[in-house]
Amino acid sequence: MTVLLWTLGILATPFVLFALYLAGVFVKELFSPSDDSDDAAETAGKLGLLPAERQNAEHAGPLPAGWEAAFAAVRGGDWKAAAALLRDIGRDWERRSMAAYLLAEMAAEEDGWLLAWEADLADDPDAAVVRARSTVILAWKLRGAKRANYTTSEQFAGFHRTLQASREEIARAAALNPDDPTPYITEIWVALGLGYPHSEMDKLWTEITARSPHHYEAHFSALQYWCEKWRGSQALATEFAERAAARAPLGSLLTVLPLIAHFEHDKSDDTSADITPEMVARVDAGLADAAAADPAHPRLPELRHLLAFYLSLQDRDEMALEQFKLVDGYVNALPWRYEGDGEAMAAYYCRIRNASAQAASAGTA
Amino acid sequence: MGATLRALRALVLLAGFYLLGVFLLAALAGGDYLLYLHAPAGVAAKLYLVSVLLAIPLVRGLFMLRTPKGEEIAGLPVTEADEPELWRTVRELAEQVGTRAPSRIVLTGDVNAAVGEDARLLGLLPGRRSLYLGIPLAQGLTEAQLRAVLAHELGHYANSDTRLAAISVRGRAQVLRTIAHFEERADRTAGRERARQEKRNTRAAAKGKKGKEAEAGHAGITYRAMARIYIGYAKLYFRATLAGSRRQEYAADAAAARIAGRDATASALREIPALDAAFGFYMERYATLGSETGLLPPRGEVFGGFGRMLNARQLELVELRTQLPTEPSSPYDSHPPIADRVQHVEALPADGRAEEARGAALALLADPERTLAALEDAVLTDEVRRFRRTRDWQELLDGAMAEGLGSLSTPLHRALAFYTKDQPTLPALLQVIDDGQLWQLARRLPLSDEAAAAKGRAFREFARPALRESLNSMALADLSARSLLSWEFSWSQPATVHLPPAPDGEEADLGAAIEAAVADHPDTGPLRALLSHTPRERETDTRP
Repeated sequence: MTVLLWTLGILATPFVLFALYLAGVFVKELFSPSDDSDDAAETAGKLGLLPAERQNAEHAGPLPAGWEAAFAAVRGGDWKAAAALLRDIGRDWERRSMAAYLLAEMAAEEDGWLLAWEADLADDPDAAVVRARSTVILAWKLRGAKRANYTTSEQFAGFHRTLQASREEIARAAALNPDDPTPYITEIWVALGLGYPHSEMDKLWTEITARSPHHYEAHFSALQYWCEKWRGSQALATEFAERAAARAPLGSLLTVLPLIAHFEHDKSDDTSADITPEMVARVDAGLADAAAADPAHPRLPELRHLLAFYLSLQDRDEMALEQFKLVDGYVNALPWRYEGDGEAMAAYYCRIRNASAQAASAGTA
Repeated sequence: MGATLRALRALVLLAGFYLLGVFLLAALAGGDYLLYLHAPAGVAAKLYLVSVLLAIPLVRGLFMLRTPKGEEIAGLPVTEADEPELWRTVRELAEQVGTRAPSRIVLTGDVNAAVGEDARLLGLLPGRRSLYLGIPLAQGLTEAQLRAVLAHELGHYANSDTRLAAISVRGRAQVLRTIAHFEERADRTAGRERARQEKRNTRAAAKGKKGKEAEAGHAGITYRAMARIYIGYAKLYFRATLAGSRRQEYAADAAAARIAGRDATASALREIPALDAAFGFYMERYATLGSETGLLPPRGEVFGGFGRMLNARQLELVELRTQLPTEPSSPYDSHPPIADRVQHVEALPADGRAEEARGAALALLADPERTLAALEDAVLTDEVRRFRRTRDWQELLDGAMAEGLGSLSTPLHRALAFYTKDQPTLPALLQVIDDGQLWQLARRLPLSDEAAAAKGRAFREFARPALRESLNSMALADLSARSLLSWEFSWSQPATVHLPPAPDGEEADLGAAIEAAVADHPDTGPLRALLSHTPRERETDTRP
């Protein structure tokens, strides 16, 4: 009898184990249902795309060679690295305004190195432009990124006070380097904050285009001014974007403007507005523009991020994936940037990217 | 509905106000009688008890309807011998309006003019009539404007279209007073109860027990319930009579325009809210400047200064006049919004009397100087009258400022005391700054969430305004303690402070010195230099 029981017991063990496994899966499924996102992430991983935690949320793409080292030196207090960086960039206005912005971001935290620079080299135009940009960035930090209703009067007071103080520094930077559009580009953010009238903005714009007619950051900043949420309207923003894109030569990346104008004013919950023939044409123009651009253009990844986003929404997943592969590893760009800081930005980027990767692999399989 | 009918309805409603309690009592009694007839004795007995409990507040309410005599407004009664011109004007206006002239004129210390009556028999019978005239009002109006205001007030008692209108005005005043009396008593009872509870709680706390939250609880509930019934009825009464009383206001305005001229009436209506605002400003910034230090302006100047300020600030008054209130001042107010009244008056045909009696209304007084001084004795409390009189406004300003700066306590004082665990003095603060600890100290200031979360330059930018302001006050206090400050009194501007001149003869720039001391990399040098001035320069100044 005992032997029989033992035999049955041994025979039953695999069944019991199997039943336990099933129960385990059931319970796991009940509490954390596996969804497609795991599969999609896996697909993306197979394609060599990076997981969210390895995305860089500081920049939109890799920095030009040598910049990273220069910034590290500046963080260590060595202003000469900053001076050398801007001197080497010279009259490449795209790079100059970008480098000045990134240096100014550091100076808006702590400006000991910048003060040392100013003390050692009086009236240095490069130090002056970084000073002006840093004060404007500081003003926006005081304001915070929330909507006006959630911004306190103390924040607004500091914002306005600091913006007002920046105007003198901007004028000084412009006087020290009359050819440089960067001080005027900086002033667009003052115009946004203090609410310059349109007439003043148009004057400012004349100064900028006289110095650099197709400057990426200038157009990006001015488009923000013309957006409904700032000092313009959807119609004004769209008109500005379309006109600038139409006039710009191929490869200047300004085809990004109509996409941004659409993105900034799109309040819909579905993709119907993003898949119109007009939007498809805008994305196609952007693709041609990106293909013609200098591959080392520091702003090229910003266009690619938006192209990838809209290609994905338009179910052109293989093309989207192509763009994603070109920018993967960096996520601080529109449209992801509006989702929040670091993690949220990367998570949003990966969600859209992985969906496209999965759809593309399903299409080819 | 004719005017007489309207007045009759007001009369019935007014009677209802007094009979409300009686009706409710009668209803209770009626209920009890029905119980007696139809209910079993056991149940009825219990319900009798309930009805008696309900009757108590009703009976108390009936007694509460006997309002005390209206409290006498603090003021200076003037006889015909004192102010013959004023009395003559008022008599003349009353005659033109077609009503009895008041038997008393009382000058008061507010921007107001009113005709009141100690009505008898629940507001049905006329009584002694008094005219209250605010001197600040007379200081700001022309004679024609004041005539318009007085004609309007008298006009309430003499609407030629209805003999009964006066009754509804009197009734209205009486009902308002009754309600106020109710609310006051309810509040007083509740307040007493709260005080009692708080005392009990203190005792409990002394023994280590947690007391109950002090609250009014059920005390005063009978009062409040009664008051609610009567207030509800009063609201009904006011709503029913509102259209009528608005009509009366417009009629009184029209009468004023007929007697004093259209333009004077309209401009007086515009002027009153402006004067009201200006007087509030005057009381806060000038008259009570020395209230903390126990100082009073010279005799006659407590109200006299208002006239000077009005003269000096004409431009600001122009702006105030254009902002007419478009809302009634309270839901009980019978007056339509001023903006509507001005519009009504200005819509009247022009009468070509714009140039009449443009002199100051204060000139109606026999001796304005003497009256302004006498008014102070009549309206200021004994305690205030014991304040020391200064020689002039300048001395008052100097005294008030020195005292204010002497007992200064800014957020920076508290932060410094907390940071150094020592007396928060200016030298101690400058030492902290020189030691490079300003921004650590700034972390101890009361900070908003945003400021507290900020770092680096952003934090310094958030903290700087408070630092700048507190340090400025501390520096001024230091100079003031050594009698190095002089204040400039002005009727048209806020007082300005003058520092001792710098060695080069220029006025020292305190702002720049403060700015340097709270800069990202602070430098106390300029501020120390400024503070170390000896009073030598001032001595040379005062030499003839």
